[in-house]
Amino acid sequence: MSEAATSTMAPPITVRRPRLRPRLIPPLVVLALLPFLPFAITVSDYTLNILMQATTYAMPVLGLAIVLGYTGQINLAQAAFFGLGAYAVALVTVTLGQSFWIGLPIGVALAAGLGFVLGLTTLRLGGHYLAMITISFQQIFDLVLNNWIAVTRGPDGIAGIARPSLFGWVLADARTYLVLCAAVLYAMVAFVWWLPSTRLGRAMRAVRENELAAEVTGVHTLRVKVVAFTISSALAGMGGVLFAAGFAYVSPDNFSFGRSVEFLTMVLLGGVQSPIGAALGTVLLILLPEWLRFLKGIYLAVYGLAVILIMVFMPEGIWGLIQTVWKRLARPAPVEVGRVRPLELDIPVADTSPILHLREVRKHFGGVKAVAGVDIQVSRGTVHALIGPNGSGKTTILNVLNGIYRPTAGGIVLDGEDVTGRSPHERAGRGLGRTFQNIRLFSALSALENVMVGAQRDGNPLPPGNAALRERALSALGFVGLADRAHLVVKNLPYGHQRLVEIARALAGHPKLLLLDEPAAGLNPVEKQSLVELLKRLRSAHGLTIFLIEHDMGLIEQVSDRISVINFGKKIAEGAPAEVLRHPDVIAAYLGTPGHAAA
Amino acid sequence: MLAINLQILFSGLAVGAIYALVSLGFVLIIRATNVVNFAQGDFPMVAAFAMLTLLSSLKLPYLLSFVLSLAVMAVVGVAFNYGVYYPLRNRTYLPVLISTLGAGIFMQNAVLAIFGPQPHPLPKVFRAQGFQVGGVFLDSQYLLILAVTLVAVGFQYFLFEYTLLGKKLQATSQDKDMARLVGIPVAGMITFTFVYSAALGGLAGILVAPILFVSIGMGSTIALKAFSATIIGGFGDVTGAIVGGLLLGVVEAFAAAYVSVPYKDAFAFLLVFVFLLLRPQGIFGEKVSEKA
Amino acid sequence: MPLLELHQVQSHYGAVQALKGVSLRVEEGEIATLLGANGAGKTTTLRTISGLMHPSAGGITFAGREIHRLRAEQVVRLGIAHVPEGRHVFPGLTVTENIMLGASSRGRLRRATLFAEIEEMFEIFPDLKRLSSALGWSLSGGQQQMLAVARGLMAKPRLLLLDEPSLGLAPIIVQQLFEVIKRIRALGMTILLVEQNAHMALSVADRGYVLETGKLMLEGTPAELLDNEEVRAAYLGGGRSPSPNVTA
Repeated sequence: MSEAATSTMAPPITVRRPRLRPRLIPPLVVLALLPFLPFAITVSDYTLNILMQATTYAMPVLGLAIVLGYTGQINLAQAAFFGLGAYAVALVTVTLGQSFWIGLPIGVALAAGLGFVLGLTTLRLGGHYLAMITISFQQIFDLVLNNWIAVTRGPDGIAGIARPSLFGWVLADARTYLVLCAAVLYAMVAFVWWLPSTRLGRAMRAVRENELAAEVTGVHTLRVKVVAFTISSALAGMGGVLFAAGFAYVSPDNFSFGRSVEFLTMVLLGGVQSPIGAALGTVLLILLPEWLRFLKGIYLAVYGLAVILIMVFMPEGIWGLIQTVWKRLARPAPVEVGRVRPLELDIPVADTSPILHLREVRKHFGGVKAVAGVDIQVSRGTVHALIGPNGSGKTTILNVLNGIYRPTAGGIVLDGEDVTGRSPHERAGRGLGRTFQNIRLFSALSALENVMVGAQRDGNPLPPGNAALRERALSALGFVGLADRAHLVVKNLPYGHQRLVEIARALAGHPKLLLLDEPAAGLNPVEKQSLVELLKRLRSAHGLTIFLIEHDMGLIEQVSDRISVINFGKKIAEGAPAEVLRHPDVIAAYLGTPGHAAA
Repeated sequence: MLAINLQILFSGLAVGAIYALVSLGFVLIIRATNVVNFAQGDFPMVAAFAMLTLLSSLKLPYLLSFVLSLAVMAVVGVAFNYGVYYPLRNRTYLPVLISTLGAGIFMQNAVLAIFGPQPHPLPKVFRAQGFQVGGVFLDSQYLLILAVTLVAVGFQYFLFEYTLLGKKLQATSQDKDMARLVGIPVAGMITFTFVYSAALGGLAGILVAPILFVSIGMGSTIALKAFSATIIGGFGDVTGAIVGGLLLGVVEAFAAAYVSVPYKDAFAFLLVFVFLLLRPQGIFGEKVSEKA
Repeated sequence: MPLLELHQVQSHYGAVQALKGVSLRVEEGEIATLLGANGAGKTTTLRTISGLMHPSAGGITFAGREIHRLRAEQVVRLGIAHVPEGRHVFPGLTVTENIMLGASSRGRLRRATLFAEIEEMFEIFPDLKRLSSALGWSLSGGQQQMLAVARGLMAKPRLLLLDEPSLGLAPIIVQQLFEVIKRIRALGMTILLVEQNAHMALSVADRGYVLETGKLMLEGTPAELLDNEEVRAAYLGGGRSPSPNVTA
């Protein structure tokens, strides 16, 4: 049976977790009571307006925290979604004379629906193109608002939006309305706070950190991005709904591109990856103009400079900076987690057909034939290595196998199924795991979170729920010997450990076929030896097949059952290690021959 | 009928020429540094205000004001290079994109603080209004715009195809590290690119100012049209920027005449939307490639 | 005094140590070759010499002068031309323009001189003359390699760094290429040649070094290194498994 890293006799693994914040209750109580403060002390109407602006603006900014902060997608149309909610309420209550409570769901649904559509564009586009398409969307919205006078009344706007009534009470009093806004805001903050620890939240952050790795690990990246846009727009729409009823008047210049930029600046200043940061940024950028009023015209110019300075010196925002400092000061307290279960790796073997068949695969890039007709069959439960000199086409073969490239001709058959047309995450869902030559981890996430993303892949035979994912992830980390480092952020781990986390992430998906792309690259001799031991342990797992690219022949000889040799995009030899590595064609491919030099 | 269409074509081309100039500057920066400069539209705006000061307030002769305004833009370009690009040159696209937005806000509001919010008129260059050819009236300022743009595009072509500097600029865009290895002063090439790009934008602003009013917001719409032109023509392609700009100007002019005036701006954005979804590489661009 | 000397050079890519104390020398007028398997650190060594990277420890001297803190543009001006792995011809420029830009480090040259030198290059690389107006991207791998070398020579360097010139090229082209290398050496050039193809490299070199995971494992004359079992082991393993004889 397999030599698991932990046996039932081993002592429990202690997992380090950052110290829990004690005494959270008093601050929460204070926050809960804060909206009621204006009933106790006299507050000017002006201040109430500012507070209402802050609470409603914070909502689209929270939306940006999700779509940009968590998922890494740029969205410069947030003010348009804010405006959709606002105008929906304005039209429903003023023009159609209906209740606010009908306008609210329409506004949110409208915003969410258009957010969904915008999210779909991320299928083809990212980065600058996405920025442009969101700007275009914002501008079209702006033009419609200003020019569809029959409906929107153009630049004059719509006035006279009444406050809603709740259980018969009209919330005419600004203070009462403020309590409503605050309640909705708190609910949103709680949601945005909770999101990162969910399956979806982890997937979002994986997409942000490294979209390709996320896709290959089994995350349906398009779906995640669309969901992010939809939620973000819905939050903005809700903000707009409350804004409209709060201020009783809407006009186009409140929902322009400039306002979108303002929302973006708020979330960047406060801290793009956190709901607290979003709230902080909103408050600051609403209050600052008041405090800096003495600067008058200069203030806005300073504002522009500040954006540049924030990007250069403080990209994580104020709250991000505070958190970094705090984390450095707080020492993580070891928390005993108990026994980590041994990792389940066995795969039921139905028959003796090859688990993988690369069928006459070709991949041409323009005129370059990177892969010129390669046919390889891999037997179940074996370790099959792929070697060849630099530039021979090995990584291209792996990328075709994975679904990152479409083959020019030929097909991939995985466990009897033709997967040639399937996207990388679908292949992951069918039991294909992979590590990359240049490690592709989700840098800002912890080792545990990285591995949990691997465990999240579709089709992983696990009971539902976070607890099962966590347990599986810990088992995988235990297998590679890193269970006691589960809560460390991976970018702080030494290179060798990062490599192991990547392997654990692939193993957490309980793969049938594990693709390893130069796993020994960059490792020192000690680390290499550990890797060899790890591969031997994997080899003894029943039914798991490994397909391995490597340059270290010593390593390959120790773990492989079969080797295929590629040169100039073609297979030049195949067989047991001992024969292949002594084969004259193979030696010639690597070292050249005297024959070639003379002729 | 033909006369009307020719008239529309003429004004469309003139406006398109403005878009083309701004687009060109935009694309040159992208090619050299991979930075998408969302403040590109504010270069025309700053130059227009410089002209305003020199011409109307200081009453300097036109040609002198023109040259000095371009000099001001050169300084702006240098400041942009060292203030916005250089500190962020190794970061991902997002901080840089946002910084350029910040730079735009700064420029707009600095000008606002100095000049106030009201739009100012700028006198046309020629006293003659223009002249009639058949059924088409050729406005003198429009003619000037077309003529200067032609010269600018010609200069651009000459610079890039026939001078050593142009070749070095192209090499820097195509392979920065290799350019360093052959001894091309890459940092200097980039500074030059920003200066040249700011000057091109400034030129556009000086040319269009007598037609529009000189105002803070004049740059924003031009910028967005220029981006649209770049995408339509082919993101990162020099010829594409020019062709895209002209095409956009003409499409807008006909849309305004035959469909609807207020929504003419929407056409630019709709066109972009369509291109981004169906053909993101634009007319001339290379395929947005697959990578691993 | 050797023209180029590396002394205990260490180099890092972020957290990964690519070079672990490499010392080597190249005498004027000779071809030295740096061999090793993929990932051994050969390209890193060249990049550290030419100034694209800087060593984290150790020193590099060229003609007696310390160069390891200089920027790439400065290093090429001193007389070291680096022809990088993967050729990197400027894809949108013509063959003539590529060659012309090779002289960028030499300051302002008279037009006549420049064109005379380009003609000299066409003597050494006759195929390129035929293709003088073709754009870089349209050339075949072998032609691009010739172009990259010609461009490097235009800097009139004292030392030429060639990184894996035979990469991805058919054997016949590789032979032609190595004929050119021999010809350049005959003209007095000093060359540091990085190659995966040990046989070809050793057929032209005067001295060889073998690199393995960032450390220099072997040094010798071609006679000593050719058909040396240890060289083969450095590439293909065989009899030498990574043994746990290092302390943790």
